[in-house]
Amino acid sequence: MPFVKKLKSDAYYSRFQVKYRRRREGKTDYYARKRLVTQAKNKYNAPKYRLVVRFTNKDIIVQIVYARLQGDFVLTQAHSRELPRYGIKHGLTNWAAAYSTGLLCARRALTKLGLADKYEGVVEADGTLTMTEVLDEEDAPRPFKAFLDVGLRRTSTGSRVFGAMKGASDGGIFVPHSEKRFPGYDPESKELDAEVLKKYIFGGHVAEYMESLEEEDDERFKKQFATYLADGVGSEDIEDIYIGAHAAIREDPTFKPSDKSKDWKTESAKFRSKRLTHAQRQERIAAKIEKFKSGGGAAEEEDEDEE
Amino acid sequence: MLRTIKPKNARSKRALDARLPKEVEDPRTTVFVRGTHTGEVLNGVMRDLMALKRPHAIAFSKKNDIHPFDAASTSTASLEFWAGKNDASMFVIGQTTKKRPHGLTFVRMFDNRVLDMLEVGVESWVSMNDIKTPKSTPGHKPLMHFASDLFDTNPRFAQLKSMLVALFNGEVIDSICLAGLEYLISVSLAPSIPAPATMYPNLVTEDLSALPTIHLRTYTTRLLASGTRIPRVELTPMGPSLDMRLRRHTPADPELLKQAMRTPKLKKTDIEKGLGKKRKNIEVDEMGDVRGRVHIGKQDLGKLQTRKMKGLKGGDGEVEEQEQEGQDGDEEEQDGRKKKRRRESEEP
Repeated sequence: MPFVKKLKSDAYYSRFQVKYRRRREGKTDYYARKRLVTQAKNKYNAPKYRLVVRFTNKDIIVQIVYARLQGDFVLTQAHSRELPRYGIKHGLTNWAAAYSTGLLCARRALTKLGLADKYEGVVEADGTLTMTEVLDEEDAPRPFKAFLDVGLRRTSTGSRVFGAMKGASDGGIFVPHSEKRFPGYDPESKELDAEVLKKYIFGGHVAEYMESLEEEDDERFKKQFATYLADGVGSEDIEDIYIGAHAAIREDPTFKPSDKSKDWKTESAKFRSKRLTHAQRQERIAAKIEKFKSGGGAAEEEDEDEE
Repeated sequence: MLRTIKPKNARSKRALDARLPKEVEDPRTTVFVRGTHTGEVLNGVMRDLMALKRPHAIAFSKKNDIHPFDAASTSTASLEFWAGKNDASMFVIGQTTKKRPHGLTFVRMFDNRVLDMLEVGVESWVSMNDIKTPKSTPGHKPLMHFASDLFDTNPRFAQLKSMLVALFNGEVIDSICLAGLEYLISVSLAPSIPAPATMYPNLVTEDLSALPTIHLRTYTTRLLASGTRIPRVELTPMGPSLDMRLRRHTPADPELLKQAMRTPKLKKTDIEKGLGKKRKNIEVDEMGDVRGRVHIGKQDLGKLQTRKMKGLKGGDGEVEEQEQEGQDGDEEEQDGRKKKRRRESEEP
């Protein structure tokens, strides 16, 4: 074996300190968290909220979160799986669904805070960059401010994270942002094509793909959009679905719990093995010893060997 | 001593510059160290103090053989080493022994050297989680309240006060947001039974049992409507609550303390400029007046509205009139120039 220089000595291992648990699990970016949770030096002390956007394989979660000493608290949240209630039944993880979920979360938060009537946001989305601004009236409440928390997602141009942010921003929450990461932003000319962004907001990109696939490859089209076809949704209906959903969200953003047909708590408890008490464990051991003694050690061992 | 690193690129240079001494210092980063044995009480106390201190807190998860008051040990060297490695200027060391149960040692550093040390014994403790009330936001600055004369008169308590202020103070700020005053740390002393309070400054022999118990309590503030501009403030216990007794201490070395207390004379202009923070286009002149500079977009002279003249309107005008107008225009121009000059002189 060749000579290997020992780089990590005993001193290294004895002094080695593991990172925070969530860092080890690769779930939290502590560099970002420190800056999102605590205040900047010069604007000391005002409460701070985060607009947390997370994606799973089948769901989009948008939450408004604030931090306290013992942990984070969720003010309101919205899932994209609630969207079927508002008429969006397909594609619950796409850009347009992210926008709708962001909008739902924003409207829900503002309703809870009693700001819903004062801050309507952008009712008819046109894809231009608009920020929620302070009302002109005197003694008017300032807009609710939240900072986007993307987690460990890559913040590339056109990412769905910014779809949810655009939805929340159009919903009347003040989320400081620029146009740089929206679909339709051209890095060359440094301009945002509002038409492209508007298309994404109303699922136009899905409709476009649907149309092109229908023309080119019927087999794949039937596979890709099977659920759309089963419900009789065509590429031309998609925009109306989103327009209707946005209006419905603004109409009634409150959360309606789904009816629990099954009592899942008792259901799952059925399959859980219960921890034995000390007395029960002792009893089991005693029984095993008893069995061993009565049956003879040799026979038992043979049994185990066979196994 | 740590080897000195010469920065090889701009990024590492910035990182090293951030560690250098500053005119207005950063909040004290505090390292929470466990001694050879801590026990449940100290673990809990340190966890809660750390929660208050976040994000300027670092926890050492392993036990360390450290005895800060033992001059024979290498503890001071370790503290100095850790201070350099972690860019920390304060330590909280927990150690429990049979002789000194539940000891909590606060160590303050200056220039990566130990400035002073103070040990307290935790007598009783209520954790933050045991008090089921709303908590404050992490990273906020507390209000601090010291309810006894002894904190000013008795050197032992004065040291404790200065130590606690150093621990909890956080960064230097120049303005306060009322909604951000979320919690309060109140430190009071139990009534001292054995001796009257006036004796303490002259105390020659250190009789620790004569010193009163220290009660450290934390509260969250609630600002309620009072009908006037000043809100009615109510306090609710937040936790942790600590009852402590003073134990060993090492006062600051007078020479080192003198260096530590020296505040660099800040130039008045530096203060006005916001101490290195970027404050663009605002300056203070010799008279002490604040002057701002406003940048406006480039003026489009093509759209400038000058005197409306017939001759400049489209179509052919008569030559005579044009001449007249021309003279008029000249006058106008001169007038305009005069006006412009006047405006210039009017400018502050």
